Amino acid sequence: MDGSSNGKPDGRADGGAAVAPADPAQALADEWAEETPPPAGPVANLAASLVTTAIGVLGAVTAVGLGLGTPTQPGAGLWPLAISVAVVVLSLAQVVVGRRGGDGEKFSRYSWLSLVGLATLLGLVALLPVIGFEIPALLLSLIWMKFLGGESWRSAVLYSVLVVGVLYGVFVGALGTNVPHLF
Amino acid sequence: MSIVVGYVPTPAGEAAVQAAIVEAGLRDEDLLVVNSAREGSLVESTVAADEDLDRVLAQAERAGVRAELVRGTHRDDFTDEILDLAEKHDASLIVIGLRRRSTVGKFIMGSVAQRILLQAEHPVLAVKPPR
Amino acid sequence: MESLQNVAAGFAVVLEPTNLLYCLLGVVIGMLIGVLPGLGPAATIAILLPLTYGVEPVTAIIMLAGIFYGAQYGGTITSVLLRLPGEASSVVTVLDGHALARQGRAGTALGVAAVGSFIGGTVAIVGLTFLAPVVAGFALDFGPPEYAALALLGILLVSTIASGARLKALIAAAIGLLLATVGRDAFTGAERFTFDNLSLADGIDFVPVAMGLFGLGEILYNLEERHRAVHAPGKVANVWPSRKDLKESSGAVTRGSVLGFFLGILPGGGATIASMAAYAAEKKRAKDPSRFGKGAIEGVAGPETANNAAATSSFIPLLTLGIPANATMALMFGALLIQGITPGPQLVTEHPELFWGVVNSMYIGNVLLLIMSIPLVGVFVRILRVRAAILAPVTALITMVGAYTINNSVFDVLLVVVFGAVGYLMKKFGFEPGPLVLAFVLGSLLESSLRRSLLMFDGSAAGFFTRPISATLLVVFVVVAVLPLIRAVRDRRAGGDVAGAPDAGASAKNREEESV
Repeated sequence: MDGSSNGKPDGRADGGAAVAPADPAQALADEWAEETPPPAGPVANLAASLVTTAIGVLGAVTAVGLGLGTPTQPGAGLWPLAISVAVVVLSLAQVVVGRRGGDGEKFSRYSWLSLVGLATLLGLVALLPVIGFEIPALLLSLIWMKFLGGESWRSAVLYSVLVVGVLYGVFVGALGTNVPHLF
Repeated sequence: MSIVVGYVPTPAGEAAVQAAIVEAGLRDEDLLVVNSAREGSLVESTVAADEDLDRVLAQAERAGVRAELVRGTHRDDFTDEILDLAEKHDASLIVIGLRRRSTVGKFIMGSVAQRILLQAEHPVLAVKPPR
Repeated sequence: MESLQNVAAGFAVVLEPTNLLYCLLGVVIGMLIGVLPGLGPAATIAILLPLTYGVEPVTAIIMLAGIFYGAQYGGTITSVLLRLPGEASSVVTVLDGHALARQGRAGTALGVAAVGSFIGGTVAIVGLTFLAPVVAGFALDFGPPEYAALALLGILLVSTIASGARLKALIAAAIGLLLATVGRDAFTGAERFTFDNLSLADGIDFVPVAMGLFGLGEILYNLEERHRAVHAPGKVANVWPSRKDLKESSGAVTRGSVLGFFLGILPGGGATIASMAAYAAEKKRAKDPSRFGKGAIEGVAGPETANNAAATSSFIPLLTLGIPANATMALMFGALLIQGITPGPQLVTEHPELFWGVVNSMYIGNVLLLIMSIPLVGVFVRILRVRAAILAPVTALITMVGAYTINNSVFDVLLVVVFGAVGYLMKKFGFEPGPLVLAFVLGSLLESSLRRSLLMFDGSAAGFFTRPISATLLVVFVVVAVLPLIRAVRDRRAGGDVAGAPDAGASAKNREEESV
């Protein structure tokens, strides 16, 4: 199903002068508006605003614990408290202002790809000190090219080996950095 | 029933379209010209420019063949796409162009044409460009 | 007028082979990034920050600056040839630029854009050369209250002028300020928000945050790239614009330079706004506005000149006052901090070779841009054939390995990943990363200025208003903060819904990283 194209029978691309609206700028804007991803909904706005509110509350609580002092002799917690309060106030305002949603983007089924990407990056971080960067980087590259990018096995393997080779040559060879490496 | 031809602006693709037009004329069927590019980059040499497509359609018209154009992109593999289209339009024939490739070239890069040949349920006509 | 000696010394710095090389490198990378969809100048600068550790501060900034204004031109190429803006500041160029390309005059459009960019950039640099020392001299009278007010105003302006939800941008900025407090408090020595983690004791390092938020965040976001139209490789014929074309566009170029120069200085302004304003101005001014959108050469010359002028002039607040005007400048600020240089009015006097070296490198960089832009168009279009699936892991791995080289620490790499996730989520939920980074970078400066000010005023905040400069700045701050509220109330009372302008398409193009 993923391979199906969105081809539609097409007459001619630029012969549309008869139907184009008078303002080319508006036409372009309309066209792009069609292509942009759908905005996130009210749930997303609520969730995001609640998360930031929580951050603000956490900050405020911790700040109070640090000692506020007085305006003349500010303690360590005065400034963080001020900002945390600002965060909470702004976030609560956002809950109201954005209650209809409309900012950001909806998560699509392709968003899973980003999650997998994140997981591979975390895996790289975990394995880096243990077995060096070459093998985790190769695996990451293979996964990204083959599974996330739809390349064939042949080209994924070829390019991955090439990429890791160049990285080795540049970071370990030319620049002489201390990246953990196995070979 | 119609004839489905995969078109790219290369000698092999041009040869395929020529052959497809002839076949369509012989069988008195419609022609479906498919130009689809691989998603992922902004520019691909397999995308046919407007002039190329105009020319192809004009050729078909001159031969008295009714031709329709399908343009689009595919995410992973052109094979699935052209076979889906053949299914949808009840193709009597699929026409594809074959590049001349060395043995090593075939091994390293794989071949969409090979996959189409092996997987298609419909008859496939593979055309090579003239030397 | 700054002593000519210093200016000349600046040229001597620029002409050193290393600096020339890095200038060339920056401009080429910038053009490449501008052409390639999916990575913007901010993301690239963030990813290449580790590269700046090993070189002189001048060299680092020369390269980063080259990336920035190079990208403004690179975005034009895709706008004209493929009807797709490579950068947010090239959105308006699509209208007339692509129309010209369809008429077979792609070379004209690109050529006029190149010449306009060069002139716009050069005019802005000349303006910088004269204006900057004046502003810096004036700002030497600044004390902590002025800095506090200026930092606050800068953060507010960047958050409010950012496209998208204003309130969310402010929240992001506030969280950025909060992140800046992590670590040991300079005044009292107490440990804040470190949760007993040793790595956090010295505060969160700026570079991993920037690399994660802008670099990895962008990369993760691009992974879910939806179907995007693919184009045939276009052919670029008539490469140089004719004399007639140049003459027709000279007015637009002049106007664009001036407009871009002033819009770039404004915090939150910048290249994107400048290009749109220039387009609108040209259209309004033209005797026959209906030509626009169908291949009017002024519709390319004006915006392209303006965006390069603005990109260059946005350096002024950074280099003279130490206040970044947009997210990319915040990155430069951070890059200077890493090198142990605190940008501020004293930069011109204490590090004249840095200041003039960077400024003069822009002259050279602009010349390089002009020379390379037209002949290399073909090369750049070829670059576009690289599939995103190949490019993504390459950039991700460069980011990860590069992050390790900062401090030879895996914790930094982890930070990059964490902030990469944060950046991705921010994009999905509609929060701008720019204000966060800006506030993060300015955070400790703002806090220490505020605390010192309070010490000066014996704890009374009214003291800010006793000083003329800080009073003015704070009044502006309040006005800017309150204005949208007033407008919203007034709109609701009027009952009408002011229709969005065609540049709704520009904000819809948030797909592309906005460096401003």
